[in-house]
Amino acid sequence: MKNKVKRWTSVGLASSAVAALVVGCGQANNAAGTANANGSASTVASSGATVSVAGVRIAKPAHLVNYKDASGTIVWAESFTTGPTASELVSAFEKKYPKIKVKLQVQPSNTDTNRADLTASISGGSSTPDVYMGDVIWPAQFAHSQLAAPLSDYLPTSFWTRFSNGLVAGATYNGKVYAEPLFADTAFLYYRKDLLAKYHLPVPKTWQQLQTDASYIVKHGGAKYGFVWQGADYEGLTCDFDEYLADAGGSVLTNGKASLNTAAAKQALSFMRGLITSGVSPQSVDTFQEPQSENVFTQGNAVFLRNWSYAWSDSQNPTSSKVVGKVGVVPLPTFAGHGSSGYSTVGGWDLYLNPHTKNLAAALQFIDWMTSPQAQEILAANSEMPTIKAVADSPSLAKYSPVFALLPKVKFVSRPAQTPNYPSVSRAIYDNVNAALAGSVSVSQALQNANQQIQQALNGSGSGGL
Amino acid sequence: MKKPLYQRVIGYVVLVFFLVVILLPFYWMFVTSFEPNSDISAYPPAYFPHQWTLSHYAEAFGQFHFGRYILNSVIVAITSTFFVLLFGSMAGFSIARLPIKGKQPMLIFLLIISVFPPLVVITPLYMLLRDVGWLDSYQALIIPYTAFNLPFAIWILRNYFLQVPGALFEAAKMDGASVFMSYWRIFLPLTTPGLFTAAVFTFVACWTEFFMALVFNPDNTMRTIPVGIALFSGQYTVPYGTIFAGSVVSIVPIVILVVIFRRWIVSGLTQGAVKG
Amino acid sequence: MSKAMEEHVSFRADHGGASVVRHDVRAGFGMLTPAGIVILAVTIFPILYSVWMSFNNIQLTENGFQFTFNGVQNYADVYSAPLFWHSVWFTVYYSIVTVAIELFLGLLIALAIQNVEKLKSVSIVVMLIPWSLITVISAEMWSYIYNGVYGVLNAILQGMGFIHNSINWTGEPFTAVIALMAADIWKTTPFVVIILLSGLQMIPKDYYEAARIDGANGWQTFWNVTFPQLRGSIAIAGLFRILQAFGIFDLPFVLTQGGPGSTTTSLAMLGEETLFTNLHFGLGAAVAVSTVILILGACVIFLSAFRGMVGEEAQ
Repeated sequence: MKNKVKRWTSVGLASSAVAALVVGCGQANNAAGTANANGSASTVASSGATVSVAGVRIAKPAHLVNYKDASGTIVWAESFTTGPTASELVSAFEKKYPKIKVKLQVQPSNTDTNRADLTASISGGSSTPDVYMGDVIWPAQFAHSQLAAPLSDYLPTSFWTRFSNGLVAGATYNGKVYAEPLFADTAFLYYRKDLLAKYHLPVPKTWQQLQTDASYIVKHGGAKYGFVWQGADYEGLTCDFDEYLADAGGSVLTNGKASLNTAAAKQALSFMRGLITSGVSPQSVDTFQEPQSENVFTQGNAVFLRNWSYAWSDSQNPTSSKVVGKVGVVPLPTFAGHGSSGYSTVGGWDLYLNPHTKNLAAALQFIDWMTSPQAQEILAANSEMPTIKAVADSPSLAKYSPVFALLPKVKFVSRPAQTPNYPSVSRAIYDNVNAALAGSVSVSQALQNANQQIQQALNGSGSGGL
Repeated sequence: MKKPLYQRVIGYVVLVFFLVVILLPFYWMFVTSFEPNSDISAYPPAYFPHQWTLSHYAEAFGQFHFGRYILNSVIVAITSTFFVLLFGSMAGFSIARLPIKGKQPMLIFLLIISVFPPLVVITPLYMLLRDVGWLDSYQALIIPYTAFNLPFAIWILRNYFLQVPGALFEAAKMDGASVFMSYWRIFLPLTTPGLFTAAVFTFVACWTEFFMALVFNPDNTMRTIPVGIALFSGQYTVPYGTIFAGSVVSIVPIVILVVIFRRWIVSGLTQGAVKG
Repeated sequence: MSKAMEEHVSFRADHGGASVVRHDVRAGFGMLTPAGIVILAVTIFPILYSVWMSFNNIQLTENGFQFTFNGVQNYADVYSAPLFWHSVWFTVYYSIVTVAIELFLGLLIALAIQNVEKLKSVSIVVMLIPWSLITVISAEMWSYIYNGVYGVLNAILQGMGFIHNSINWTGEPFTAVIALMAADIWKTTPFVVIILLSGLQMIPKDYYEAARIDGANGWQTFWNVTFPQLRGSIAIAGLFRILQAFGIFDLPFVLTQGGPGSTTTSLAMLGEETLFTNLHFGLGAAVAVSTVILILGACVIFLSAFRGMVGEEAQ
């Protein structure tokens, strides 16, 4: 699968080869729902004309909708939750399209609770929310369960060319696009500039070097802990693990089959466990999600932090951070001998269309506008990474956050989310990895269990569905 | 009747110990809600805040419609509790004291209902409420809360009605009181501890219910406190200060209710109702 | 058996003639009607619907759920999954241990409140605080307290010299279970206290008087009067705590996410995940129905072990 994890060669996902990486980790696109990833990014509905756009083949629009003069009220379920982002977007939209009113429905930030809420109401036939925000790993599952409408049926093919390549492929299932990439997310290594300078250490380029630096600083009393990250029993651990795995040259699936019984997987997990046993990471890192790991870092108790792009502004916020001005940020390291920098998991959020919406035209107008340069600038100003080339490739982007300037150097790995059973696949990963981190099973046993459970989940039937 | 001294001493020691144990975590939550963010994850923690701030409370009430959430919760919880007590005590009395058939199947059936995981029934219930057009309304919560809390109330009230001496019922009948009158005038006043227990249980269950409230009432003006507090968290943040501020505030209406009904509660729970 | 106890366990009080009985029956059903209507209207359809779901392969389509009857296939699938049996085991031992401890502590505290002169109303208010805290919030509170790096629990224990290194409370299998149990016991023991306290009030005072005249000491009075008289309330408290404990969801959902690994994955969590994360509605319904059967079994065992109400009334 090495060919599927490519270097990001320009800001945004500009290289079309990246398309392969985003889809490449195992599609489940045939009728039976079983995975048959073969590395090709083109998977197409069996009948009907298709076109190639944004690096992926999709079916031509079946019911093109003219939404130029749309009017009425729509409900948008948003999960920005805190901060003014959602209301800023809505008021800019309403100003531009005064005939359409957008009502905000605030969703819980917990992704699982959010999904449960949306599932309960949409499967119950609700016509609202008309448009909702969802995770980038949802398209296959939501398409499979008819919780999301195929946007590519209603929008012209040319609509999809605005996006950085690869993002549309990630939102495609069975040759139709079910989600509009709203903003992207990337993981970085945050480090303490002051501590590295004090102990005359370079910014680590490899994981091994990070471990050595960290234990040196901890041993000499520079900080309580070396490195904090997300090791709790949840989706975020799948993200972290996938990065180490890609750095070691492995992947979760190879040709559509679970492939965690490899030397690369063993290297990745052994290293993670080693971070804990060597004392570089606190024991309780196996209970950390993003907030806990970030807290340790912003309290000045850790040298290194793996976190998403949002952590930059948090670390520079004097009301909650004790390390303002002492933080540097670089792409994640990799294992020695695997290039000059490591992989980041592809994260981010999409917009989905409720198949039962009663105001399709207005909803499409809103979806269209949300990836206009105007809306994407608003997102960038709120530290969310734009998804359209026009904004993502603009040199002025760096003024919003220094992490945006690092994007050209980042390599990306996507989670194997092209199967409707992705949640079970991910659970097989994070449950077993977490057990290994806690020391309750050995590294090789954990990988063996994970491998077997992933395979069951991919088969999609029987007890694999639990 | 005064208890022997040694019993009272043991009682005080045990009680004070447990009161402290129960209050300690709450104390911790309480002080954290007044601490500035920078102190919240400090280690070692300050057992008493260095600086006090009201910013978390301001955020809860300013950025979120917390006042409205409280009002909604109060309306839903009080109304549901009222109906549960009214219907539950009648049903409990009937099962306890009247010669109807099929009591045991009824009790088992009630048990099954209270066992059924709410998560499973949420989707079909949603479809029901949508069909009658009651989403985003108080009744969307009051009716399910009443239905799902009635079984426990009936069980517990039946238990108390059974403990009231049966001779009272016969005596009332001799005096020509109707069944309903003897329930209303004689049995209800004698079972205040049971009514209180059922009331508190129902109120708390409605007060803390999350998932139905989240799914049935998506409109921001119809949210209840548990859902409102769940909206405080960001995608990657747990704002402990704001969450705890909301939780401390959510206790206040309960304390007010207890103060209002203090007489009834204390007499119900500390001075036996039955003079044997 | 005491007179009150006889009343307590027998269904039929003596009644007058047949017409009076018929009248009472009519009144009885009349008084059942309001509760019956509300319960049946709201719960019957959803419950039957989800039971029916568990016997079907379910696809979500544009027109809602599409059922394809597949017999007991969902159950066969669920029962062949090691994760299911693991969560059954966790749920069972978790429930038994927490409910037993809660009943013991609840009885202790209720008796203490009964025996003191002052502090009574204060105690009742304090009891209501943990209980009326929203479960998710109390879970957040405990996760803040248990935090392995900046949690106050480690700070206190270190300050008192009990431990040297921080304990990773929710990150190790054994301590994670203990941490969950402690948080649950903290929150729900007050429920037991309130029920037992109100049960204590229903014990006729002359029983104590009689015991005193017989020269019984406190211990004898407890075993011969209080405990037998309180059995109905203990049964109710135990029964409903078992119901709640077997359905435990919020606490592990926030505190441990079911981890480490799947150590603390409860049946309710598994059911919720199957339904709303994996969107396998048939399998999820089968997990839920199996949970209901398990809980009912636990209730029957508890009640018969307690020789409680249902069993004795069946006479």
